[in-house]
Amino acid sequence: MWTPCGMARMRPHSSLKQEFLKEWIKGLQRCSFPKKSILERKKAIKLSADIAMASARNGTTCWSRALISSAARDGSDNNHLVKQILGPESDRPAMENKAPAREASVCKKILKRSCRIRRRGRRKCGAAAAAPSSIAKHLVKKRRQILRSLIPGGEFMNEICLIEETLDYITSLRVQVDVMRSLATASVRGTE
Amino acid sequence: MSSRRSRQSSASVSRISDDQIIELVSKLRQLLPEIRNRRSDKVSASKVLQETCNYIRSLHREVDDLSERLSRLLATIDADSAEAAIIRSLIM
Repeated sequence: MWTPCGMARMRPHSSLKQEFLKEWIKGLQRCSFPKKSILERKKAIKLSADIAMASARNGTTCWSRALISSAARDGSDNNHLVKQILGPESDRPAMENKAPAREASVCKKILKRSCRIRRRGRRKCGAAAAAPSSIAKHLVKKRRQILRSLIPGGEFMNEICLIEETLDYITSLRVQVDVMRSLATASVRGTE
Repeated sequence: MSSRRSRQSSASVSRISDDQIIELVSKLRQLLPEIRNRRSDKVSASKVLQETCNYIRSLHREVDDLSERLSRLLATIDADSAEAAIIRSLIM
């Protein structure tokens, strides 16, 4: 299904499911459940699911690091709950920014190269850069901005990183939804 | 969507970047349920981005709904290891 297109972090679907489930159960067990209201419990379930989804990536993607670091940031909502879910310091997934520096410099090189190409192209087109193409470009730019706001850490990514991260993020979201849905249907069957 | 506009916006995407971006965008298209079902190969970058954003938002909503459902369902189940192990075996 997934070809290893040079990205070592691509993993088969089922092992990602199991990784997510393992992390999610770990996180859930760390929350103290019984006394809370439905809303509190929902928050805990959702938060531990998001953190589990990010932890399953083990610090190999920008979005997963951004998700965990923004959740664990002091002063954020549910900070104490997040710390509970993440557990002791030794257990926490990688959050350090060593990899992004490397990725960022590679991205910058590609961006510089593509800016040069764009400038060359624009010189050739000259007067042909009429209203329709700039409207289309503006639309694409606006949509890209929206996408950036949807992906954790998207504001810091350039175009190529953004699309790569989007692919990975969507895959992880689908795994998260699949596992949660299976659990919901299994629970219903169990209580009937 | 006029074909001219879609040609121009996809031209702007390929002009800005390498073949790598085209490859990534095509992978993105494969993930999106709505676009995958369309026969046409000419899907503009703007459309792909729009469908991507819609898809991500719908996935977020689904996670939210499922969290709520699970919160109600798990009312009687403690998150201790015995029950969690049973649930784990139900899913695998």
